[in-house]
Amino acid sequence: MSARLKLGAQLLALACVAGLLALLVWKLTHQHDAPKVGSQAPSFTLNRLEGTGKISLASLRGDGIVLNFWASWCGPCKGEAAVLQREWTQYHDRGVIFIGVDYHDLSSDAQRFVAAHRLTFPMLEDGSGSVTTGRYGVSKVPETYVIDRNGTIVAHLAGPITAPAFAAQFRAALKKVA
Amino acid sequence: MIARLLAVIAAALVLAAPAAAAACTQPRTSLSFLEGQVMCPTCHTTLDMSNSPAARQIEGFIRVKIAKCWTAQRIETALVKNYGKAILAAPPDSGFDILAWWLPIAGVLGGAFILAFGVWRWSRGREGDEPPDAAGPRLDDETERRLDELLAGLD
Repeated sequence: MSARLKLGAQLLALACVAGLLALLVWKLTHQHDAPKVGSQAPSFTLNRLEGTGKISLASLRGDGIVLNFWASWCGPCKGEAAVLQREWTQYHDRGVIFIGVDYHDLSSDAQRFVAAHRLTFPMLEDGSGSVTTGRYGVSKVPETYVIDRNGTIVAHLAGPITAPAFAAQFRAALKKVA
Repeated sequence: MIARLLAVIAAALVLAAPAAAAACTQPRTSLSFLEGQVMCPTCHTTLDMSNSPAARQIEGFIRVKIAKCWTAQRIETALVKNYGKAILAAPPDSGFDILAWWLPIAGVLGGAFILAFGVWRWSRGREGDEPPDAAGPRLDDETERRLDELLAGLD
């Protein structure tokens, strides 16, 4: 094999290895873990579940926010729906906005869920999960974030808010952001 | 009595007609086919390998649409609209996604070319080699003469 051909083959092999390494680095740096309490809540814009416009998190700056990730196929989500609705009616005129993000779900089933549980707070849809898993690192629903008026996360409840471990924490966080 | 019976039958036929029209007598695809084409969004396996609630929900959706005579393509389009392209097990064969189909083929072809070229170079190199002399290295005249003398002395 001529020296030039050999050099070309070696450069090609090096380029392949470099490409694979770049892919590995990209994958590692683009993995999204759940944002930590005390950090800024990742921004997003999502369509409303009813299909009437969009809501962006940035537009809600200045209000306390309860961000609840759910899906109609999720059993524990049914259990916490009534609690969320009750807290929403109690807190929405105290400067706290509840936002539901429906993820990996059929819109029609999600709308039935909202109607069946008589949920009146704004609902957004994230069918692809780009915000839910991509920005908030949610792997199992339900999960709830409580965000203060400056956009800082004050509580992250990775499970139903009705769970004994989270109920008191949720109420404390609500009082903090109200 | 007969008139009443006929009226009941007529009413039943009228009520059954829309249902019969809505039912699909010859489905255009099957759940088992689509289960291998559609991913479970929460577990990242195809539907036929998942038993998660999200997968069961999508299976239910597919069943309903098959019963309405939807084609596989139409069902997949509806799922992509709801969940995004990642819901399909195979990437779309258009736009940038077409690379997912062509890159492996290009890789295999490139590998085969490199292998064939290497074999060709190797076989050409072997053709050019001198075969080894069976008689061994040639001796100079003086050495050959002395060797003949030695061999003659042995006789």
